[in-house]
Amino acid sequence: MISHEMKKVAEERAARYKAAVELKEPDRVPFMGLGGDVVAAYAGITSYEFCFDYEKSYQATLKYLREFPSDQPLMPMTSLANTVAALAFVDYPDITPLVSNIDGPTNDILGVKYFRFPGRELGENSSPQFIGKDFMQPEEYDELIADPVKFCYEKIVPRTITGLQDLQSANALAAMARLGIEKTRQGAAMQKFLLELQKLGYPLSGTSMFLTPLDFIGDFLRDIPNLIKDLRRYPDKVKAAAEALLEPLLKLALAGKKTGVEMSFIPLHFNEYLSPVLYNEFYWPTLKAGILGMLEEGMRSRVFFEGRHDPHLETILELPAGWGIAFFEKTDVRKAKKLLQGHTCIMGGLDPGMVIGSTPAKLDEHIKELLGDMMPGGGFILSLGVNNLPRETPIENIAAVYEAVEKYGKY
Amino acid sequence: MVSPEMQKLAEERAARMQAARELKEPDRVPFTGLGGDVIAAYAGITAYEYQFDFEKSRAAVLKWLKDFPSDSAMIGAGGLDCLPLAVAFSDFPDLAGGFMVVNGPMNDILKMKFARFPGRELDENSSPQFIGRSNMDPSEYDELIANPQKFAYEKILPRLSDNFKDLNSPLALATMARAGLERVRQGAEMAKTMAAIAELGYPFGPAGGLSYAPLDFIGDHLRDIPNTVLDLRRYPDKVKAATESILEVLFKLATANPNVASVGFPLHLNEYLSPELYKEFYWPTLKEFVLRLAEKGIKSSMFCEGWHDPHLETLLELPAGWGTAMFEKTDVRKAKKVLQGHTVVQGGIDVGVVISGTPAQIDEYIKQLLDDMMPGGGFILGANVGNLPRNTPIENIAAVYEAVEKYGKY
Amino acid sequence: MREQLLKSFVDMDEQEAVRIARELVDTDGGAVAVLDTCKEAMEEVGRLFEAGEYFLSELIAAGDMFNQIMEFTLPKLQGDEVTSIGTMVLGTVQGDVHNIGKDIFKVMAEASGINVIDIGIDVPHEKFVEAIKEHKPELVGMCCLITLGVDSMKRTIEVIREAGLRDDIKIIIGGGRVSQAVMEHVGADAWADDAARGVRLSKELLGKE
Repeated sequence: MISHEMKKVAEERAARYKAAVELKEPDRVPFMGLGGDVVAAYAGITSYEFCFDYEKSYQATLKYLREFPSDQPLMPMTSLANTVAALAFVDYPDITPLVSNIDGPTNDILGVKYFRFPGRELGENSSPQFIGKDFMQPEEYDELIADPVKFCYEKIVPRTITGLQDLQSANALAAMARLGIEKTRQGAAMQKFLLELQKLGYPLSGTSMFLTPLDFIGDFLRDIPNLIKDLRRYPDKVKAAAEALLEPLLKLALAGKKTGVEMSFIPLHFNEYLSPVLYNEFYWPTLKAGILGMLEEGMRSRVFFEGRHDPHLETILELPAGWGIAFFEKTDVRKAKKLLQGHTCIMGGLDPGMVIGSTPAKLDEHIKELLGDMMPGGGFILSLGVNNLPRETPIENIAAVYEAVEKYGKY
Repeated sequence: MVSPEMQKLAEERAARMQAARELKEPDRVPFTGLGGDVIAAYAGITAYEYQFDFEKSRAAVLKWLKDFPSDSAMIGAGGLDCLPLAVAFSDFPDLAGGFMVVNGPMNDILKMKFARFPGRELDENSSPQFIGRSNMDPSEYDELIANPQKFAYEKILPRLSDNFKDLNSPLALATMARAGLERVRQGAEMAKTMAAIAELGYPFGPAGGLSYAPLDFIGDHLRDIPNTVLDLRRYPDKVKAATESILEVLFKLATANPNVASVGFPLHLNEYLSPELYKEFYWPTLKEFVLRLAEKGIKSSMFCEGWHDPHLETLLELPAGWGTAMFEKTDVRKAKKVLQGHTVVQGGIDVGVVISGTPAQIDEYIKQLLDDMMPGGGFILGANVGNLPRNTPIENIAAVYEAVEKYGKY
Repeated sequence: MREQLLKSFVDMDEQEAVRIARELVDTDGGAVAVLDTCKEAMEEVGRLFEAGEYFLSELIAAGDMFNQIMEFTLPKLQGDEVTSIGTMVLGTVQGDVHNIGKDIFKVMAEASGINVIDIGIDVPHEKFVEAIKEHKPELVGMCCLITLGVDSMKRTIEVIREAGLRDDIKIIIGGGRVSQAVMEHVGADAWADDAARGVRLSKELLGKE
């Protein structure tokens, strides 16, 4: 049972976050919490266990969340997104979550070639990793443009998922049945975990993911270096492919709406590789169309601007005010605030390097200054630039961050 | 939690069944109870609810087992045999076992054409029904013989369900994932039901499996029954070779779970065949199957559908203690004469009598039956067919249980 | 030739029987001879079945041979050469979707000269009533395989009675789970759990034998 008190805490936390998204000043600065491999280390388990053992992973996460409370929960069982498979099954919305959110046990069944997991391809204390490759040749652009869903299903899925390399084989169908079995087991365990989260006063909210067409091509089909060449060699094809991909990728993201998801997550990768000229020509049009398309359906976006987004910052102003959250990694949030105040909610501000390598006293000072600059006027959510602290992160530094937020985070 | 009292009751019941299975006389005649569609009617739910709603179906079964106690429990509505799917996935022992039977909710996913369920293809108070059809051309026998698993997968599966029409389609893959999800969901429901039944003092023995006589696999799932009997005359050598090939894959499936202690065979074509045809086409591979299972310490049971009289003696070719023969229309008294000390005889209660008799007639009927059948042991009392229709008078059912109580003591 | 046909048919020699029938059918009066011989053969097969010498597989094989031969024989017969000893409305009762038993019975009944109106499987009670009104049969045959069919037969006969048609017809029930007790329970006139017995009793009910 969830106590009244904890229900109230959850509501307060959710309201805090929502106020910031709506560009207002909440009672306190919303704080995302610091996560990553350190969660496993703090519980004394390996990253392998964190990725493969439901029970241990859930317990570790709960332990951490109990000691270090924040406004949004962290999640156990790190999973990687296989958007190619999701797109291949876009017409089967009950199946897309099975094939797209891949954690350790499901990767054992499917063998996704993009992914590396600790205790499997990697050392037992490594982080799960995504490694792209050119699984598609440039001659195949036309096929991709003609029917992206069919192309991903027939061509890319067999090339990238070992268990599905021969789609008509009994092996492939058996892999799907095993996936269904594993996901149900996991779902039952997850239900238990979510109940525990609620008991700790955490609000629950689902997220769906939207991948920009160009990131989809760069991550899953051509790999980033090849895509950069393609922009110059086959510009029209790339553009046409991006346009063809937009609709099914949007459909994928909007599928979450039925289950009450109100915000979609858009991780950008390719942004920092591009000059403003290329960004504006190839990347931004479909990203913008994606954000607007979801907004039309009542779904806001949280865009993770990987790396330095400084050269493209102004394009954000082309979106309507209140469209969502700009989550920055290396872009200076103070500079962003100047430009976006009153228009876009800003998330980020904490440099993981500081948390890893600094001292509690310096962190206290750093956060004090950061919050002093960022809080006024509202529309700010405090978070790490990349929410993955390594195993060796000093716990006293983590504690110092939480204490400083407690101390200086009140409006 | 199972109380010590109920634990003891379960042990007694298990011992009773076990003694009969060892051809001995127990303390009382073991009674498998009556069941079928009437269980749903008795609980006031439709056959559709009984098949599709686990919560209601569990409540119905528990109510029945509480009011009409017997020595073994049924755990729910059951389903229809779906062996070709298991054969198609026989290289995946973790999956194949779960595909042997398809029930209503699972068929919502698999959409097998042979299956008819209440509230879906049938009226909400009908029984689940298996409707065979020919899924194979006789020119394909060679392919079947060469590799039954491959044939079942590549050729039969696409014909059994439109979801598998194109094996490499996203629909086929999605269907399998859904089947996997559904299996775990049902497994959890089943575990809940079994735990509740155990609290009522019912024993759960070691795992039992299901299989087919190889010729029945052809008759039910590949060629249909009329075509199969014609094939016996038109392509006798092919049919024979096919049964031998099928035996291998069915044996592999039946023994995939190392904990299996018994395998049940529902016989269908037995009553279609003359002793001559039975001995030539049907019995050799079934016998071989049972012998191989016996070698592994696995007992068999055969449900001898219809009149099995002409083939009764063939059972004596099996080693004594091989297992249990259940009879539908074959007179169990006659069977007892032939099989006493060799084969456990199960059945005896004609459901027609339970449906249409009076309590007094039923009392007399059971008394005579038990008088004749109990001496010497090796007899398990049960219905000749597992399904009593919804309108079966409850007083007649009660009369059966009371008579068993009265006359069943050794 | 008729005797050869009869013998090969009864001996289940499919190829030979079909070959002879093809030859015979084109001779003068051959079509009638083929029809009569095949009917006689079917009757003999039924007799052998009831005597326990033949089994269902022989009934199925005989039915298949009969249909094969009739396919090329019937078109060569004049209308008045095909005589019927009576009409039967036949169906599997509501709730039951099995057809094998009904189909075996049907071909044997037709071979014995009964004009069979097959109204299918899972037949609603009212549809029996409608068919009786439309075809005015002497006989109604109801089949079921599963025990559920027992309830359904009882209800169907009640509905026929309510429609005031019960006294105009004789009812025979058939199928794997019927018996004397079931017949009395549902209120039919005869029962059979195999096709050969069913045809014999149907003819008796028609007063032909």
